[in-house]
Order: sequence, then structure tokens, then C-alpha cells
Amino acid sequence: MPSLLLEIGAEELPAAACREAEAQLPELARSHIGTTPSQLFVGPRRLAFLIADLPERTADEWVKGPPENLRERAAAGFAKKHGVAVDELELRDGFLGLTVPGRALREVLPEQIDRIVRGFSFTKSMRWDESGIRFARPVRWVLAKLEGETIVGETSFGHRFTHGAVEIPTAAAYADALRAADVEPVAEERRRLIVEGLDAIGGWSDPGGKLAEVVHLVEKPIVLESRFDERFLQLPERVIVTTMQSHQRYFPIEGNRFGVVANGGQPDVVSAGHTQVLEARLEDATFTFERDVAAGIDALAERLAAITFFAGAGSFAEKAERVAKLVERLGGGEASLEAARLAKADQASELVREFPELEGYIGAEYARLAGYPDAVTKAIEEQYLPDASGGALPRTEPGKVLAAADKLDTLRIAFELGHKPSGSRDPYGLRRAAIGLVRLALEGGLSIERALLTEELREFVEERLESLLDVPVEYVRAARASNAPDLGGVARRAEELYRERESPEFEGVYTAYDRAHRLAGKAGQEAAAELDRGLLVEDAEKALAEALANVAIDGNGDLKAALQSGAELAPVMERFFDEVLVMAEDEAVRANRLRLLLDVRDTLGALGDFSQIPR
Amino acid sequence: MIIALERYWADYGCVLMQPYHTELAAGTMNPNTFLRSLGPHPWNVAYVEPVIRPLDGRYGENPFRFQHYFQYQVVLKPAPASVLDLYWASLEALGIDLRSHDMRLVEDDWEQPTLGAWGLGWEVWCDGMEITQWTYFQQLGGFDVELVPAEMTYGLERLAMFLQGKRTAFELEWAPGITWGDVYREAEREWSRYNFEEAPVDVLTRRFGEYEAECRHLLESGLPIPAYDQVLKCSHTFNLLDARGAISVTERAAYIGRVRKLARGVAEAYLESQEENAVTAA
Repeated sequence: MPSLLLEIGAEELPAAACREAEAQLPELARSHIGTTPSQLFVGPRRLAFLIADLPERTADEWVKGPPENLRERAAAGFAKKHGVAVDELELRDGFLGLTVPGRALREVLPEQIDRIVRGFSFTKSMRWDESGIRFARPVRWVLAKLEGETIVGETSFGHRFTHGAVEIPTAAAYADALRAADVEPVAEERRRLIVEGLDAIGGWSDPGGKLAEVVHLVEKPIVLESRFDERFLQLPERVIVTTMQSHQRYFPIEGNRFGVVANGGQPDVVSAGHTQVLEARLEDATFTFERDVAAGIDALAERLAAITFFAGAGSFAEKAERVAKLVERLGGGEASLEAARLAKADQASELVREFPELEGYIGAEYARLAGYPDAVTKAIEEQYLPDASGGALPRTEPGKVLAAADKLDTLRIAFELGHKPSGSRDPYGLRRAAIGLVRLALEGGLSIERALLTEELREFVEERLESLLDVPVEYVRAARASNAPDLGGVARRAEELYRERESPEFEGVYTAYDRAHRLAGKAGQEAAAELDRGLLVEDAEKALAEALANVAIDGNGDLKAALQSGAELAPVMERFFDEVLVMAEDEAVRANRLRLLLDVRDTLGALGDFSQIPR
Repeated sequence: MIIALERYWADYGCVLMQPYHTELAAGTMNPNTFLRSLGPHPWNVAYVEPVIRPLDGRYGENPFRFQHYFQYQVVLKPAPASVLDLYWASLEALGIDLRSHDMRLVEDDWEQPTLGAWGLGWEVWCDGMEITQWTYFQQLGGFDVELVPAEMTYGLERLAMFLQGKRTAFELEWAPGITWGDVYREAEREWSRYNFEEAPVDVLTRRFGEYEAECRHLLESGLPIPAYDQVLKCSHTFNLLDARGAISVTERAAYIGRVRKLARGVAEAYLESQEENAVTAA
């Protein structure tokens, strides 16, 4: 069976569009050609696939018509619709119908290929002529080869500047023909060549993750080693790396070296050109850096009143004040308070305006240059941590406090303004902030009072515990209802409840809670507002009230001890249920007994909402 | 260099125009691009445009940033299928050997919120240096373009630095014995002082309102072309106020919205007048 090659030639596609196309090509081929490609070729100037062993005809298609028992009424209409005589209809499995014979592949390909070209869906697309096609960039040629036969188009094209039109002799020879024309059509192979070239230079890095993009910025990767003037090494390292990566997509190599992935040209000319461009950018960065340093971090901090944090949330100066108050609430010391005052100063710097990814880092650098102590500069540098899922936490205590206060403030003000994230919309990164906050409590050991969070915000933040803790969610939910005073306490409570779940004390408390909750939980309206000891009649209920008064549950304390104390209620409760009729006829007595049970539930409930835990 | 570009694009059939007479932040804002890119009529044009960006001034101290520099602007409407090849050939006409350099098209989508305009394109890299902004317009003044124009904006200082092998724009040879720095550095210093320190905020704020009112009035009078000049003046006044630090973030969005509304009104009126002219001609 023959193989088919389809190539869509475009003007330089963005890397993101290449990746989108790569994901869509197999399904487009399957739905319009009937077979999944055996190989994909994706790059900036061409999207192509090869299908090996394609049937030469499309499959016959059975068109099902009316059931046989409706032959009299419906057969004529069906036959007419399909342009056949009634007696040409066939009978299959009780239905009339007809077989539409498959067509020769070369006959159907042009229209199917057109459907493929029109079938892509890009996040950003454009039109460019009357064809009405939308694509990430203009499509300039289409070539389809069935074995050696050209079905659509004429030729392919080689490297933009070294080769023109390229004859593709057969579908299977596509890649080799292009390689002879300075084009490596396989993305994975280009990646391999780039990595191999960088490895040969050695010691390269890619902190900004540019490799995936660079693979789609070249058709013929040439890896060059360049050096910039050593005088720029005075700049902070991350300023150099960011300058290299964010605009130029260079790969830093230690010292003053960097790797360039070019698409052609004479190596010495190209390398010298790229060096000059990088040096100009470093010159510009130096200029900006020096202006910021000359202004000084304190002067930068004073400019914050003019910069809005986000609409409705005041200026960065106001944010800094709020964060400082939170730092105090979190027990931060002098270093973290000083850091809070300076933390956002770099938002007023020219360098952050240019490279937003340097925020925090460069503020710390400016503070260091202004003579602030390490504890302060470290805290400034660490304020955005953890900045990725599973990312590192601040190492210093002031850093932890500042990081938590910053996140708390963002969450509090955003919720106050009604910006609770919905669905995938989370423009202020509140989920990440909440996860960071919880991790600072759990792993960072920071005490973050739950009282700092409004009810809605507390729900939102504590929901994150469910995925962060290695405990079944029911136990986390139970603990969230406990009287634990801070986030870490909730987490500990969840873990302890889970650990104790099979102990006799847990069992005792669970049963007491469960019985009280089942009976009285829904009778809230009927229960008395307060327990009236004078209305206690039976010995068993008096005993329960007395035992309840002796139960000591400390929200911060040892759970085991609290469970032991609570579990002492279990036998008293059992006696109570044996001897006392809660639903007494006397309304006041009944209300009092319900109240007693609710008190039992609420006292034990300080340990958690046991009704969340299934048994 | 400019002469070579003029000759090349004139030979292709472009109308050669001169710079516009009021301050523009980009060659795109010249009515020969903005207005002519709207509507159903083909239009090929090329011109030098001095661009004025108050916020980018650095008192002539930073050798890479200026509040005044030059663009060479080419618009081909509709973009022919060979438009990229035409562009590459224009670089060859400047003496750039495309095979010995690393020429690249790197994604760079363009958006100009004050004009309600966007398009997709690239920055053109020559050994890593951005020498041209390349855009296929999709919308202008909030209207889809009928014929998709290709816009090529050459950065003349960058190109000259590349061609002359100079490290900064100050050192560029403007004429034999005269550098770019000789010609413009003092002006950069003075204009930066004006833009950042001296420009009168109250006067500018008042003028913005006056230009805006005049634009509306001209639109009511059916004069979209003069009205567009008022949009340009509004836009420049806004940029000056911005450089003076007189616009807060919240106000910013409101100012941009006001200019965009005017630009949209102009685009709408211009399209209408094009239709009327077509009817009259028929």
C-alpha cells in the first residue's frame, strides 16, 4: 500500500503554534484521511506528516435507510434522496440501505487536505487573503505526495536563505530531501542537535526554559559559543542571565560565555553579531541598574505611593504598610519589619519595569548595596517563595514571615474586593498564594492564626490542606471544624485524628459525639439556649452533665490527652441513653436534655467534626 | 541607506511619502498607514517617520534609548503572497548578505490599545539584533481590515548601527565627519528635561480635552481626516502627561479608552466616506 506525505508550508510559526499544531495533526489526519500518521514533522516553516500503508481506496460506506417493515412507506423517499432506484436498495440486518463505494485516494485527497488545512485551531490566528483560512501565520504552500506522485502542489522549499524549491521524489524520501536542503524537519532531532551542541561546549544552563521555544526558532540549528566582555560580570548574575534569556534566548555558560543557537550564516560573523547585541543589552541593563542603585532602595520605596498594586487594592506603599502589620501579627522581628518596608521598593525600579521576573531578587540586591543586613536582604529575596508547585520555601525566619504576610495580604485584599477565583480564572494567582501560605505553616512551621482569615477566605485556604496533606479528606474536613487556632494546628489535628482513628479513646469520643449529634443535631431549634441544672431529673443525666464539666479539651494541646478526657464521656453517655428518655413529654425537660447533648457534641467538636468521618 | 530603501520600494511601486507633520509615537499612526489600511482600496506606501516617545527619553545619557528616533515604514495592502521575499530582497538592496548572517523571524504580536488596533507578526532578527517590526494588521480602530496589509517598520538607527558596525547610536556616522550624537544628543537632553520636568501638566490636561472636543466636532462635520489629526494630538499629549508622571494607573485606562473611542469614531467615519466616494464615482 502507498504512503502519503502532506506538508503545509507556512511563514514562520510561533513555537506555541507549532506545539498546538503538533497536538492536532494526528487527529486531523485520522478524521480526514482515516489513518493516524506514522511520523510528524513540526517546525517554524512546515507542518507535515507521513502516513505509511494507506489503502488506495477509501472504505465502502453502508448508508442505513428505513427498516424493512416500512418498505412501502419510506423506501421510495430514501432511494430518491440518494439517487438510486428502489430495487437497487439492499437489505441488511432488517434495514434497507445502500453501499456507497469507496473512492480512489488520489481523487478524494485534495478536498480532504483542504479540510485539514482549515481544521487547525490556534489560540492566536489570523487571516491574510481571500481564502478565508485562519492560521497562526500565512500558509504559503501545500504539498501532497502519494508515493512518487504529486497530488497537491508542486515542490517543497528548503532553508530560507540557502535553498529554494526542493523536489520531493517520494513521500518516504521527504525528510532526507529536506536535510539535503539545510532543513531538519523533525523537532525532536533539532532538539537533540541543539543539546548535543551545547553539551559539547559544556556547562550550559537554561533557567528560563527557552529550549522548547528555540527548537521552533530554527530549521537548521547551529550551536555557537560566544563571549561577552568581562566588565559586565560586575552585574548581579541573574541580571546577566535574564538579559541573555528573556529577549535573546541565549543559554548561559559559566563566566562570560554563552551559547547561541543560530539558523545559519557564517559562524564567526554570526557569533560576533550576537555578542555585540548581548553587550548592547548588558550595557543598557548596566545603565538601568546603576540608575536604580544611585537612587537607592529607600528612595525607590518612597515612590511606591504612585504605583497601584491592583485596582481597588491601593498603592504598593499601602500594601507595604498592611504587610508590616501582618508581619507583627505573625510575630516577626525587626528584620522582617524592615524587610516589609523595603520588600516592594523594586516595583519602582527601572530594572523590574524591564524584567519583571527580577522582582524580589533585585530588591534584595539594592538593599544589600545600601548596607542593610543579611537578614533583611534575604527576607526581601525570599518573599515570593514558594513560587512554584513544590518549590523551595524561604530558608530564613524573617523570609518566612514576610512571605506569609505578603501572601496573606494579597489573599485578604483580593477576597475583600470579591476576586475569589472561579473556574480557571485566577488573575491574581490566589490559589498559588493560598498553597504557599499553607506550606509556610505546615513545612515552614509558621503559626498563622485562623482568625486572620475571614470565613470565606479561611474556607478557600483550608481547602488547599486537602490536597497537601497525606490524610484522607474526611479527616481534614473534620479537623477544619475543630478549634485549632492556626493553620498548622488544623493540619496536625487532621493527622492526629487519622493516626488515632483505631484507638479506643477515639472510638469512645466518636461514639459519644455521633450519638449526641444524631439525636440532637437536627433539633437545634427545640433545644434550650442554655443548660439548666435545676431541670436535670434523672441520675444518669446529672452524671453526664458532671462528667461533661470535667472534660478538658485544649485546642493546642496533645490530642491523645484530649481524646482520653473526652472518651471518659463514653460510658456515661451509654448509661444516659439506657436510662433517660430524651424526648420527654415535659417540653422544658426535653429542651434541657437536647441542650445537654448538644453541649456534649460541641465540647467534643472542639477536636473536630466527627460527623465528617465515615464509619 | 534611506535612499537605497526609497529606491527599492519605489521600484516595487510604492507611493513615496514624506514624514507626517505632527508628533507620532510610531509610523503606524501616520494616516498613510492607519487610515489607508482601512477600506477596500489597495495601497502601497513607503516613508521615513520620526517617532516621538517622551517616556523613552534618557537625557541623551543612555546610548540605546531616545525619545526621538527614526523608522522606515512600508505598507503593502493587500500583502502579496511573496511579501516576505520582497522584504528580504530589500535587505539585500541595503547590502546585507542574507546567507552569511543569522536571519530570523521571531514571534512578536502587535497591539496598540489607543488605536484599537492589533496584528500578528514578528520582529526580524539579524544576528540577534531586531532590525524590523513586521505585522499583518488584523484590526484598526476596532474594525477588521478588509484587505490584510503587511506593515514593515525598519528601525533605522539599529540598521545603521549594524551596517556601520557601530556599538551605539551616538557613534553613527550621519554624514562624513558628523555623528548622530553631534546632531541629536543635545536635543535628547533638552527634550528629556521638557518631557519629564517642564511640560506643563495643567496646560496639557486642558489641551487633551480641547483636542478631544475638536475631534468630536470634526467627526460631526464629516471630516474624518482632520479629525484624525486631533486623535494624534490627543495621543501625544497623553504620552507627555504619562512621562510627566501625571497619570495614575486608574486614570491611564480611562485616557486610553478616550483616545480609542476617538480613533474608532474616525475609522468609522473614514470608512463611510470611502463608501460614499465609491458611490459618487460610480
